[in-house]
Amino acid sequence: MSTATTNIATKNIADSILEPVLTPTTAIGINNVTVSFKTPKGTYTAVKEISLTVQKGEIVSLIGHSGCGKSTLMGTISGMVKPTTGEVIANGKKVFGPGPDRGIVFQNYSLLPWLSVYRNIYEAVDSALKELSKAEKRELVERNLKTVHLWDHKDKLPGQLSGGMKQRVAIARAFAINPSILLLDEPFGALDALTKSNMHVELLKLWNLDNREKTIVMVTHDIEEAIFLSDRVVVMNNGPEATIKEIVPVPLERPRNKKDIVHDPVYMQTHDRLLNLLIDKFSIADIKD
Amino acid sequence: MKAKAIKIGWSVVYFVAGMLLLLGMWDMVSRMTKGELPSPVATWGTFKEVMTNPWQNDPDYKGIGIKLLSSLARVGIGFGLGSLIAIPLGFVLGSSRIAMNIINPIVQILRPVSPLAWFPLGLAIFQDSPKASIFMIFICSLWPTLINTSFGASSIPQDHKNVGKAFGFSVWKYITKIMLPYTLPHIFTGLRLSIGVAWMVIVAGEMLSGGIGLGYFVWEEGFNGGSIGKILVAILIIGAVGLLLDRIFTSLQKRFTYAV
Ligand SMILES: Nc1ncnc2c1ncn2[C@@H]1O[C@H](COP(=O)(O)OP(=O)(O)OP(=O)(O)O)[C@@H](O)[C@H]1O
Ligand SMILES: [Mg+2]
Repeated sequence: MSTATTNIATKNIADSILEPVLTPTTAIGINNVTVSFKTPKGTYTAVKEISLTVQKGEIVSLIGHSGCGKSTLMGTISGMVKPTTGEVIANGKKVFGPGPDRGIVFQNYSLLPWLSVYRNIYEAVDSALKELSKAEKRELVERNLKTVHLWDHKDKLPGQLSGGMKQRVAIARAFAINPSILLLDEPFGALDALTKSNMHVELLKLWNLDNREKTIVMVTHDIEEAIFLSDRVVVMNNGPEATIKEIVPVPLERPRNKKDIVHDPVYMQTHDRLLNLLIDKFSIADIKD
Repeated sequence: MKAKAIKIGWSVVYFVAGMLLLLGMWDMVSRMTKGELPSPVATWGTFKEVMTNPWQNDPDYKGIGIKLLSSLARVGIGFGLGSLIAIPLGFVLGSSRIAMNIINPIVQILRPVSPLAWFPLGLAIFQDSPKASIFMIFICSLWPTLINTSFGASSIPQDHKNVGKAFGFSVWKYITKIMLPYTLPHIFTGLRLSIGVAWMVIVAGEMLSGGIGLGYFVWEEGFNGGSIGKILVAILIIGAVGLLLDRIFTSLQKRFTYAV
């Protein structure tokens, strides 16, 4: 008992000393962003006046029904989509377009069909990390391909891969350039449960590797995945003019153990809350009954 | 595997049937004209005669092989120069709306002009009839390649462009790793159409320009020499070479089309 108190006391002291160093800095600032698309039937406002701040080192998930504007919102961070009004700040700079400081795993993989698995990653590394030597670039490609267990398939063309394999190539490509902000649009959607679990571990490894300084924003439809990986889960309303419905924090200690956390009451509460937000008909009372 | 063999087998059967039909009709017409049009058998004799010593290369007489090569060389140079301009220009038109808007009307006006109309212009510019035929081939090789390349370059999917943007591809890398590979099948379609036109036009060009070549062979030895057999032989050779050129570009086009 007394040791516990001392521990807490020292922790507090340590915190206060480290305070200025540990003060989280903003990695991504989405300020009042509205995105409208011009369509033949007039303008379609996908997301409206969204503001969200993501701290450096944070893992945030976006969930919401299909078509609500998750990819669009991600696009404004990556710079692929230009906000109609509002602005996005990434790493302290206003976003005007895409850049290699923000690595992207696209929802549809976006591999170049005429390049082998190896070349797909190599060309990205070659462009994004110009300062590296050829040997270093090759080493990086090899390491990341091995991480996603695709080294044996390195000479295949994307057309010869399964959906899950393509997705892993896209993940390896984003990981390889080691960006400070990682934007993942349903990165594990096409994977089987086991491969998905492995990828979760690899993602967290990558995140741990950089002293947890990497910021990750991820779109997912998988509530368990969102809870296991994230610090906060952003639930979006349905579009058009989608807004943020609620931001659900995930106050689970890290490192998290997939098998154990499911029995954690905090996990169960968070899960219920998210389910409740996503499926209006359900209520927590229904589930408990 | 077996299904493929059967498919190939059938296409051979169809080909042979088509050839037999052609020979049958040819023979019939020949009989009706009482040999005015040489029969297939007679033409076969002329063919063998023409084919003896095809590489004869005397100053006063060139064999059919030399003539064929000389026509092919002219087509090759004109077509090569045309493609060298049409492909990069197609890239520019395909990637820039403004360039497209400016150049497109010019293309629309010049494209329908008969290749033969360019011949006198070429002659006036170069004062040399073989160069004038090359100029003519050059002009008519431009359009299909230019139009197909620019169409290909303008239809690059957003997904592919996004890859270039997201990973900061340089302009050179974008051209060589995204634009060129994506556009390649379209380029080959254009090249295939271009070489077809070029090959068609060279015969006419050589009739006008004289010199060594298949076109002049048809005119001089066939028509002026009063040998319809030689005209027929030339037609068959021109047709076969044209088919071969077409097949080469078709297979290139297939070779460079990728499944996503
Ligand atoms: N370029 C565009 N032009 C017009 N409308 C668009 C465009 N991009 C997206 N939209 C519209 O914006 C809305 C949000 O699309 P978005 O792709 O962001 O959805 P999402 O939440 O990612 O869906 P999913 O979960 O199915 O991937 C959709 O209604 C879509 O039709
Ligand atoms: Mg999406």
